[in-house]
This record gives sequence, C-alpha cells and structure tokens, in this order.
Amino acid sequence: MEAVIYICLGLLFICGVLAVMLRSLLKSAIALAGASAILAIIMYLLGSVWAGIFELSVCAGLVTVIFVSAISLSNTDKQDLAKLYEDAKRMSALPAILIICGVVLILIAAKTPFMLPAAVPAAETADNFREIFWNHRQVDIWGQVIVVLTGALTVVALFKERE
Amino acid sequence: MSKMEAYVETGMLVVGFLLIVAGCYCLIRTYHLLKIIIGVEVAMKAVTMFVILAGFINGKIALAQAFVITVIVIEVVVAVVAVGLAINLYRIYGNMDIRNLRKLKG
Repeated sequence: MEAVIYICLGLLFICGVLAVMLRSLLKSAIALAGASAILAIIMYLLGSVWAGIFELSVCAGLVTVIFVSAISLSNTDKQDLAKLYEDAKRMSALPAILIICGVVLILIAAKTPFMLPAAVPAAETADNFREIFWNHRQVDIWGQVIVVLTGALTVVALFKERE
Repeated sequence: MSKMEAYVETGMLVVGFLLIVAGCYCLIRTYHLLKIIIGVEVAMKAVTMFVILAGFINGKIALAQAFVITVIVIEVVVAVVAVGLAINLYRIYGNMDIRNLRKLKG
C-alpha cells in the first residue's frame, strides 16, 4: 500500500504544480481535476471512503465543469492573455522555491528526532460515520446548508439581468 | 508503526506543505481571477489531505471524513461565487484582471 501512496503523492504534487504553472487555463483546470482524482485515491487508501467519493464527484467533477464553463464564456485570445498577465515570467521562480522548500523540509525531517505518533487502527465503520455525520456534527450540516444557500443567492445576484 | 508507514506520513506532510506554498505563490504572483481560484483550490487539496492524515493517525477517520465533507462544500461554494465574479468582471471589462476590482463603486 505504501508504494501506491508514494506514487499517488508524486502524481498529486505534479498535478498541483502543473495546475498552478500552466499558462493555458483549460490545461490548468484539467490538472486540478487530476489532482482531485489522485487525492480521492489517497483518501480511499487511508480508509476514508465517503470523503473520497465526495472529492471525486464534487471536486474532480463539478468544480472542473464550472471552470471549463467559465473558460468557454471568456474566450480571450491566448496571446493577449499572455501579454496581459505575463504568467510564464511571473511563475518562473516557483520550481526553484519548491525545490528549496522541499530540500529544507526533508533535511528537517531527517535531522530532527520528531516522529509522528503511531497510527491507531480505526475501529469505525460506515454506521459510525453516519452517526457522527448526522448526529454529532449536526451543527456542521446546518452551516453547510447556510453556506450553500448563501452561495446560491450570491450567484443569483451576480447574474441578475441589468436594465 | 513501521518505519515505512512513518516515511509515508512524513512524505504526505512534505507534499502538502509544498502544495500550500505553490498555491500561495500563485495567489501572490498572478492577476487572473480564475488562476487565483485554481491556486486556492490547490492549497485546499493539501489542507484536505492533512485532515484525512490526522484522522488516520488518531484512528478517528469518521470524524475526519465529516470535517472533509464540510471543507469540500465550502470549497465548491467559494469556487462558484468566485467564478461568477470572474465572469461578471469579464463581461464588464473584457478580461479577468483583479486590478479592475479597484474600480468598483461602493
């Protein structure tokens, strides 16, 4: 299992950095969807099946559709975009920053005696998840309902036809 | 805990931190609103992974899943509202440059 998680972590990192660095917005959105899908696999491997399903269907599916719709609604010429934002130049320092941060973090992890606590085997089943989600964290659900309603009202206000 | 498992958890921490750095760098360095939303989403992926990792280590994966579902809902609503804002910005100014937001009245 560890080898699969290592591969997924590598792919997640690559997709995340590509999503940030690619100049084409469509390719960025697809890379972001790939990162979501890989994160869903990691969640599944760590035992959180429901969160993985949500991540795959909502983040990799719905959010990508929203991004692609927005990109298709704003058909600016690619060269104009490049001129306007100069993203290639602006983002050119990112690989160097990531390499430096990565090396520093690996050195810290190797040199310090810091160890994460041992993973406790989860004795929780799907029923336990239902119990926690619907009963113990009921306030969260009400919060989610309010957030979704606020989002819907905001979108309605944003797309209101102007006279 | 086996040594291999500890390495996996450390690897997840390192990758998550690097994704947060990448997302924050995108937030700082670009002016395109859609690109900024993508940067926020990338950082949110790392946070989601951290919550799941914490649940895995503590053995409270069900609680972590409940939190992650809340995070995902908030993430989607933020993305939808920001995309709506970006489309309106494009309709008015012809581009999605966040510097145009300074011209808003009110």
